[in-house]
Amino acid sequence: MIYGDKDLGVIVQNITGKQGTFHTELMNAYAREVGGRGVVAGTAPGKGGREVHGVPVYNTVKEALREHDATASVIFVPGGAAGDAIMEAAHAGIELAVVITEHIPVHDVMSAIAYAKLHDCTVIGPNCPGLLSPGECKLGIMPAHLARRGNVGVVSRSGTLTYEVVDELTRAGIGQSTVVGIGGDPVIGQTFVDVLARFEEDPQTKAVVVIGEVGGNLEEEGVRSTDLPVVTYIAGVSAPPEKRMGHAGAIIEGGEGDARSKVRRLRDQNIPVASRPSEIPGLIHEVI
Amino acid sequence: MKLLEYEAKRVFSEYGIPVPKGAVIRAAEEVAAHLPDLGDGVVLKAQVDVGGRGKAGGVLMADRTTAAETARDLFSREIKSVPVREILAEERLPIEHEYYVSIAVDRSSGQPVVLFADAGGVEIEKMAEEDESAVRRVVVSPLLRDIPPFLMRELLGGAPKELAPVINSLYHVFQGKDAMLAEINPLVTTSRGVYAADAKLIIDDNALARQGIAVNRDLSEREREAEKHGFSYVELDGSIGVIGNGAGLTMSTLDLIEFYHGRAANFLDVGGGADQERVMHAVKLVASMPGVNVIVVNLLGGITRCDEVAKGIIAAGVAPTVIVRMAGTNEEEGRQLLAECGYRMLESMDAAVKAAMEVAE
Repeated sequence: MIYGDKDLGVIVQNITGKQGTFHTELMNAYAREVGGRGVVAGTAPGKGGREVHGVPVYNTVKEALREHDATASVIFVPGGAAGDAIMEAAHAGIELAVVITEHIPVHDVMSAIAYAKLHDCTVIGPNCPGLLSPGECKLGIMPAHLARRGNVGVVSRSGTLTYEVVDELTRAGIGQSTVVGIGGDPVIGQTFVDVLARFEEDPQTKAVVVIGEVGGNLEEEGVRSTDLPVVTYIAGVSAPPEKRMGHAGAIIEGGEGDARSKVRRLRDQNIPVASRPSEIPGLIHEVI
Repeated sequence: MKLLEYEAKRVFSEYGIPVPKGAVIRAAEEVAAHLPDLGDGVVLKAQVDVGGRGKAGGVLMADRTTAAETARDLFSREIKSVPVREILAEERLPIEHEYYVSIAVDRSSGQPVVLFADAGGVEIEKMAEEDESAVRRVVVSPLLRDIPPFLMRELLGGAPKELAPVINSLYHVFQGKDAMLAEINPLVTTSRGVYAADAKLIIDDNALARQGIAVNRDLSEREREAEKHGFSYVELDGSIGVIGNGAGLTMSTLDLIEFYHGRAANFLDVGGGADQERVMHAVKLVASMPGVNVIVVNLLGGITRCDEVAKGIIAAGVAPTVIVRMAGTNEEEGRQLLAECGYRMLESMDAAVKAAMEVAE
């Protein structure tokens, strides 16, 4: 597993929001199931002193960390204020910020990630489902019941497509070490390269599924950077140029990053590329 | 959202970037009133959002005597099948040299990247392809207020120093206006100083509200309707409608249709929390597209309530066949509700797409 285990203490920023409240309970249900620490505190400016599903709420991250031992934060703060929330977490000493929020202005993301770096805070996301290490911990919104502990890592730019792949793997009897959604925005914290470097250091992980999308060339950078056996799948081969398919990152700009040529370049490097998600388990069996 | 040239130039001007004297006209006769300001040489530029506008005949040269006639000619044209409704009439600059400069969001480093070339007016991609060293690039920390002088020197190389303040102002535009791209091509030197002869500005769609932009013009009417419901929606030209949750899964569904040699009619991502109401609107919207005879609904996620989704599909009650694949909570209730009303719910996305193919054929 990478990024954290059962002992990871987690806070939730904007814990009183609809999503924050709902997923705090799901994260803690998972923590109870695996015997982990889970969400120990939450924040929401002006709402300090309340409780959400038994979790104490503080006005600021600094206050929460004064009372609780936590190193990770899951951020559900809405678009315009999310950049600020990332910086607040980093400033207060959070080491891992998982940003679920979508539609954050890209300039806010660039600044917040640069600021977090200055404070040695690792950012996953934004616009991501978070991470799940089956049997250890869950940070974010992934449906845990689809996953099962094992030795295949999964790293993906998508949300629900990741669940699809995890479901396929589990049905085929292939468990996962850690599933990481890095987010679909043009600018993200942890990239394929960063996550694959962590998987390479992880004794549990024997192979990795890389789920990419049309746009950019970060999948290729990632695959080139690792010695682990890798199976890839790229969504968006049927996407027409200059059309934005939901994710801001999923747009083909100036001929760069269209899925077809991405698939071709990966195959040229002898990397197995699945034509559809259901082919992934078979390809994994071939590489390990 | 892409701004038109004259809108971008207005912004540049606010940030102290010199732009040519000019006026926007909506009819050929209007040009006469502006001629005294513009001088002898006049450039008429169609205000259309298409690439390669100049080559496509969207920029015409004129003088005092021919301006009205030339404007009439330009108004009668279509530039890459876009009709010309507005023309920017500008003074002709005494150009000495042309340069290229742009600032964009660099995905790899997650920071602003500035590109500069000693030749302007041409396509930067082509220039970089032919000679990589012709385009210089520097990455600037987004935490900095200005492009630091050492990076500016690296960027400019031997180019004139007086370009620096203009490029720094462009960086302020990029930061201040939430730009995805701010470009001047060409950036020109003249005997009277430096000018932005052309201007391109693309604003981050996620920042339109705080930039005071109420309507995203890049979207078609149906796309705007979709946006109201919080969907991301793209129209394609096939017959199989697609509704999914999450951009990746929805794209993957489109790819699967292509894999089985079918043609998707659209991309529709309903977003998180697909409830009855949203699903109903989504199904109705896709069914309203001409030529759609079957719709694949592919929803997956821990918090998707399948009974809600089923009710939404039933409430929409559309003519095209709806084939459903979903996984989440209350799956059994959802399946039963759908079965009672004659809808098919399948186990996998492969099976759902195959079933849709049969209907489409």
